[in-house]
Amino acid sequence: MRRLNVNHLTRVEGNGAITIEVDGKKVKRVRIEIIEGPRLFETLAIGKLPSENLNLVPRICGICTLSHRYASIRAIEKCLGIAVPKKTFLLRELMHHGEMIESHSLHIFLLTLPDLFGYPGAPALADKYEEYLKEGLELKKFGNRIMEVVSGRVIHGENPVIGGFGKFPTEKELLKLSSQARCLIPLISHTIDLLGDSKIPKYLDQETQYVCVNPPKKRYGFSGDSILISDGQVFDAEDYKKVTNERVVDHSYAKRALYNGKPYTTGAIARINNLGDRLNGMAAEYYHKYWNNRWKKNPIFNNTAQAIEILYCLEKIQELIDQIIALRNHKIIKPKKENGTGTGLVEAPRGILFHSYEIKNGRMEKSDIITPTGQNLDDIERYMRKAAEHLLEKNEKDNEILRQLEIIARAYDPCISCSSHLIRVVRK
Amino acid sequence: MIEEVIMAKERLKIGIYGLTGCAGDQLTILNCEDELFDFFRATEICSFPMAKSDNLEENLDIAFIEGSVSTEEDLRLLKDIRERTKMVIAIGNCSCYGGPQSGLLLDKNWRKRIKQIYGDIKFDIPPPRNHKPINAYVNVNSLIPGCPIDKGEFLRAISRLINGDLPIPINYPVCVECKYNENECLLNKNIMCLGPVINAGCNSICVNHNLPCVGCRGPVIEAAITSEFELLLKKGLSSDDIRNRAMLFAGAPMAQMLKKLMETKK
Repeated sequence: MRRLNVNHLTRVEGNGAITIEVDGKKVKRVRIEIIEGPRLFETLAIGKLPSENLNLVPRICGICTLSHRYASIRAIEKCLGIAVPKKTFLLRELMHHGEMIESHSLHIFLLTLPDLFGYPGAPALADKYEEYLKEGLELKKFGNRIMEVVSGRVIHGENPVIGGFGKFPTEKELLKLSSQARCLIPLISHTIDLLGDSKIPKYLDQETQYVCVNPPKKRYGFSGDSILISDGQVFDAEDYKKVTNERVVDHSYAKRALYNGKPYTTGAIARINNLGDRLNGMAAEYYHKYWNNRWKKNPIFNNTAQAIEILYCLEKIQELIDQIIALRNHKIIKPKKENGTGTGLVEAPRGILFHSYEIKNGRMEKSDIITPTGQNLDDIERYMRKAAEHLLEKNEKDNEILRQLEIIARAYDPCISCSSHLIRVVRK
Repeated sequence: MIEEVIMAKERLKIGIYGLTGCAGDQLTILNCEDELFDFFRATEICSFPMAKSDNLEENLDIAFIEGSVSTEEDLRLLKDIRERTKMVIAIGNCSCYGGPQSGLLLDKNWRKRIKQIYGDIKFDIPPPRNHKPINAYVNVNSLIPGCPIDKGEFLRAISRLINGDLPIPINYPVCVECKYNENECLLNKNIMCLGPVINAGCNSICVNHNLPCVGCRGPVIEAAITSEFELLLKKGLSSDDIRNRAMLFAGAPMAQMLKKLMETKK
C-alpha cells in the first residue's frame, strides 16, 4: 500500500490537499482534505442584528462575496416580510452578474489556462501569452467594476443592504457599464472557441446528478425560490435539506452533501446542463455549437460552461441596465415584523448557495449556510477515483497522476474558504 | 532588516500566502489587473499557491501573509515562513487582527463550542485553534489592514519596498477621511458608526454610501475607545450591543481594549 499526496492544492482558492491510497493498481481511498480552519460563521451570527449578520457573511469568501450577501439579504427579507421595489431587485441581479464575470474569468484565465497551455501558473504564462492573459484580465476588471459601482467596493462592498441600497449608482455610471459590456463580447466569444475546441479525455466520463437554482419564468439566471435537479424534480427553497442531506466527515472541516444517497455536482456545468435550452441570443448560439451529451458526464466541461456564462452575462447586463435606468430610486424599505424564518437561494459562481435563518425579536436566532464547494466535494472525489484507476492501469507516473487529479479538482473551481466555514449550530 | 532587503541586488524574492481567511486579500492583489504584469516582472514571485503551481519554498525577502492562525497547520506554516523571510507583512484584517472569526475571543468557552458544533468526531487533519492574528505568534514587520486590503495601499507598499523603503502605516481614524469627503456625521443622526476608533485608509467608503463604519480596518493606534463606548451608550446602545458591534472585525486588539475597559468599569 502506498500513499500519493498533493500537500497543497494550488491555483484554487483556500487551503486543501489531496491524498490517495493505492494498493498495486487498486485505489483504496481518495480524499480531498479541507485543511483550512473552521471559522464558525453561523455561531458568530447568533444574537446579533440581521444587519450585522449581513456585515459578516460576505467575509466567508472573498470571491463569492456578493453571492453570500445576496443570499443573506434574500433570507433576511423573507424572515422580516420585506418586499423590495423592482429597481433594487434588478440592481442586485446586476451586481451578481458582475461577480459571475469576475469569478469565472479569474478561474478560466488565471487558474485554468496554464493547464491548457502546459504552464505552472499565470506568472509563467505572462511571458508567452501576455495578450491572451490581458484579454482575460479585461473581462475580470469589468466584472470588478460592476461590483464596485453597485456594491461600493470590489470586494466586501457594504452598499447592498436589507431593504435597498445605501446609495444608488448614477445613470452615467450604469450606461458606461452597458457600453463596456457590448465591447467585451468579441473577447469572450474567442475564448469559448478556444475552450470548446480543446480535447477533453473520455476516460473521466460517468453519469452524475446536477443541482441548480430554478430561476422563475423559465429564464436562465442565478436566483430563484426553488431548486431544480437533473432528474426533473423541483424543490421549494425551504425544503433545501431534502436535497443536501449533509453529514460531517473526519478529513474535512467542510460538511458533505448527498442527494438520493448519491453525490451531485453544482456550478456552471450544472446550470448549463439543466437550463441551457433557456438561453437566448449569442449565448444560445454558442451553447448549441458546443454542448453535447458528454457535458452531462465530465466535469472538465465546466470551464467551457463558465465561458458561455460570461457571454450570457455580458448580454444580460445590457438588458438589466436598460430596465434599471428607467426606474426611480427609493428609500430603504423597513421590516414589517421582527420574527420569522426564511431561506435565501442564489447561484454562487461555483453553484447553489443556501442561507437559511430564523430571526427572533429582531435578532439572529439560527443560521444555516450551505455552500457549493461543500456540496461538490463528494463528486470531486468520485471523479478523482475514476481518473486515478485509469491512470494506474496505464502505468502513469505518480507525478502525472497527481497533476491530473489537480486538474479535476481545479475544474470544479473549488472555493475552500466557503466550504470550510461549514458547521451546524447546536444550541445549548 | 530593511537594509538587508534594500541591499538585495536582484529582484526581491516574494511569497504570498493564505492561512485561514477568505482569500479576499490575495484576490485584491490579483485584482490589480493593470499593474499585475509589472508586479510579476519587477519581483520574483517564488511562492503564490493561489496563483501558481511551481512554488519554491526558499529564503524570501518579503512574505505577504493573509489569514488568521486557526489550525496547527497554519501555525506550522507561519513559523516556517518567518524563519526563512527577512520581512513578514500581514495583509488583511484576519492576519493583522484575527478577523471576524476571532469575534468570540472574549468568549471563554471556545473549546466547548467547537465540541458542541462538531460533536465527538475525531478529525484526521490538523486540529483547530482559537483564531488569532499572526503577530500573536511571530514578529511581524508591517501591517496592511483592511477587509479586504485596499489595492492602492498595497501597490504603494510594494513600490516603496522595491525602491528600498518601508510601507507607511496610516495612523489616523476613518473620521479624518470622512471629513475630507464632507459627509454628514452619522453619529449626529444617531447611527452607530465606529469611524472614530477605526483605522482610515478606506477613504470612508461606507459613510460615503450613507452607511456606518463597521470597523473592518481594525482599531486605530491609541483609539479613544472609552469615549466611543460612552458615546454609544448615550445614544442608547446596550454595552452588549456595543461589544458585538466592535467585535465584528476588530479582533484581538479590540478584545484586549474592551477587556480592560470592562475591568475598569467594575
